[in-house]
Amino acid sequence: MVLVLALGDLHIPHRAPDLPAKFKSMLVPGKIQHIICTGNLCIKEIHDYLKTLCPDLHITRGEYDEETKYPETKTLTIGQFKLGLCHGHQVIPWGDLDSLAMLQRQLDVDILVTGHTHQFTAYKHEGGVVINPGSATGAYSSITYDVNPSFVLMDIDGLRVVVYVYELIDGEVKVDKIDFKKTSTSHSAH
Amino acid sequence: MMKKKKQVPEWMNSSLWSTPSDHRRFDPPSPPPVSVREDPPTLPTNHNAYSSASSSSSVSSASSTAGDISRQGSVQVQVQAQAQAQLLAELSRKVIDKRELRRVASQGIPDAAAPSLRPTLWKLLLGYLPPDRAFWSSELAQKRSQYQHFKDDLLMNPSEISRRMYNSAVHDIDDAKSQTRILLSRSQIPHDDHPLSLGKTSIWNQFFQQAEIIEQIDRDVKRTHPDIHFFSGDSQFAKSNQEALKNILIVFAKLNSGIRYVQGMNEVLAPLFYVLKNDPAEENAAFAEADTFFCFVELLSGFQDNFCKQLDNSNVGIRSTIARLSQLLKEHDEELWRHLEVTTKVNPQFYAFRWITLLLTREFNFADILHIWDTVLSDPEGPQETLLRICCAMLILIRRRLLAGDFTSNLKLLQSYPSTNISHLLHVANKIRVQSV
Repeated sequence: MVLVLALGDLHIPHRAPDLPAKFKSMLVPGKIQHIICTGNLCIKEIHDYLKTLCPDLHITRGEYDEETKYPETKTLTIGQFKLGLCHGHQVIPWGDLDSLAMLQRQLDVDILVTGHTHQFTAYKHEGGVVINPGSATGAYSSITYDVNPSFVLMDIDGLRVVVYVYELIDGEVKVDKIDFKKTSTSHSAH
Repeated sequence: MMKKKKQVPEWMNSSLWSTPSDHRRFDPPSPPPVSVREDPPTLPTNHNAYSSASSSSSVSSASSTAGDISRQGSVQVQVQAQAQAQLLAELSRKVIDKRELRRVASQGIPDAAAPSLRPTLWKLLLGYLPPDRAFWSSELAQKRSQYQHFKDDLLMNPSEISRRMYNSAVHDIDDAKSQTRILLSRSQIPHDDHPLSLGKTSIWNQFFQQAEIIEQIDRDVKRTHPDIHFFSGDSQFAKSNQEALKNILIVFAKLNSGIRYVQGMNEVLAPLFYVLKNDPAEENAAFAEADTFFCFVELLSGFQDNFCKQLDNSNVGIRSTIARLSQLLKEHDEELWRHLEVTTKVNPQFYAFRWITLLLTREFNFADILHIWDTVLSDPEGPQETLLRICCAMLILIRRRLLAGDFTSNLKLLQSYPSTNISHLLHVANKIRVQSV
């Protein structure tokens, strides 16, 4: 039972001052084992804050990040699943499923987590699952102003993943879940 | 005005107390660092229970006092054989008379027979097995399956619980046949139960709150008896024993929200599990974990108040128990009591707290603990009273050194009690009962 927090596109301090208070009250240290962050934090203080939630922190570089040393993409294995991480501004057209599927095949992962569009989505295609946790602060994107703050918490338990989607809609936190599993323990490369 | 000085009781005037040379008649206490088992070492070696260092030293020192033993040996062997025969007779009855059993058992269990008799004896004394032998198998089966249910219910993590409780549509991402791309559907969460929930009824929240207790149990179990192979080391055997201890303590903590887990419970549990696991009867040893759980509950029920912080200052809590010990000492050896508490101001809390709450498991070596527990569990007066008498006897046995010492040396002595002859200690404790007002 491994809890993995996926979030990104906070754009602090440029587009948002901080995470919503209701999110912050829920995110306490000691519960989460890994954090994967799509990027665009943008400053070191947010990096340090995320480090206090969980020491195992993975970040990829967004185009506005002030830390230039973050990698463009990252892969990691948690339990039976391979996860891939990328900010997404490199994948053109932005948010296009075909292009993201290409990236997923390139990284050879079961679950690809990308951001940049500031909209939560979760797709399944032949190569695996693509998840976009949205923007955790609800910062505006180059495409739209109407953004609900959201992030994702994945519970990886053996061959099964339960994805809890946290959204702040009209000041209230709404939580949904998505359940998926894989049947084989090894992922065949294309 | 003439104050009549309180007489020292007759039995304390015996030559036993005066000169060291006379001690030899009563099986001399060993030099402090090495504990000597006067009886021939019939320790259960098949489980490699004792570290090789201690067993070899006990063999060497046993041979040096062989001269003494051979004189006492024949008498001892006779007494032991008699006790063993009585015990066997009592245990093989169809319906066991508990009072009679207690009387025989409080004489002590001879070492040779201990591994096979002790498990059954303790189970009977703790009320786990009913007196009527006919009901044993059904009772055991029922209790063992009950424990298994406890484990299944309480040791599940929240992911599994929510999986079993709620059936939601599960997408299979490996399904190679479906070439379609679909937007994964979101489903409702019943009862607002998600991992970050802060609600009181949330299974996740409860899990995280209990995670701390479980961590504490884990740490304590790993530290239990590091010198004994049964409990610690890298062997698969030790690891599975530790796992069993952990499970018992976790189930206990979850079922008893009143006291949950308190540090020290692992020490009380250890000898119990050791005895039941080393039962030569295969079936009993296999179910040792379940049996130990119920015996542990029973054992702790008598001492539970000592672990409860809120009851510390009440008249059932640990403070009042320590006060009773103090009173007992005052009745039987006023001179020592006065010297300890008034002159040198050694507050009994400094040493008796650990003696009482851990049932003396940290004061003696493992074999001696088992002997002491034989008496504590079988005495008709009840475990708490017996324990207090033994503590009082422990103080009286080293009275010379205590009377000669000041605060520092007395405290040091009492907090690392010198090893002593256990049968003698129990004998003195017994005598205190007889003389009790």
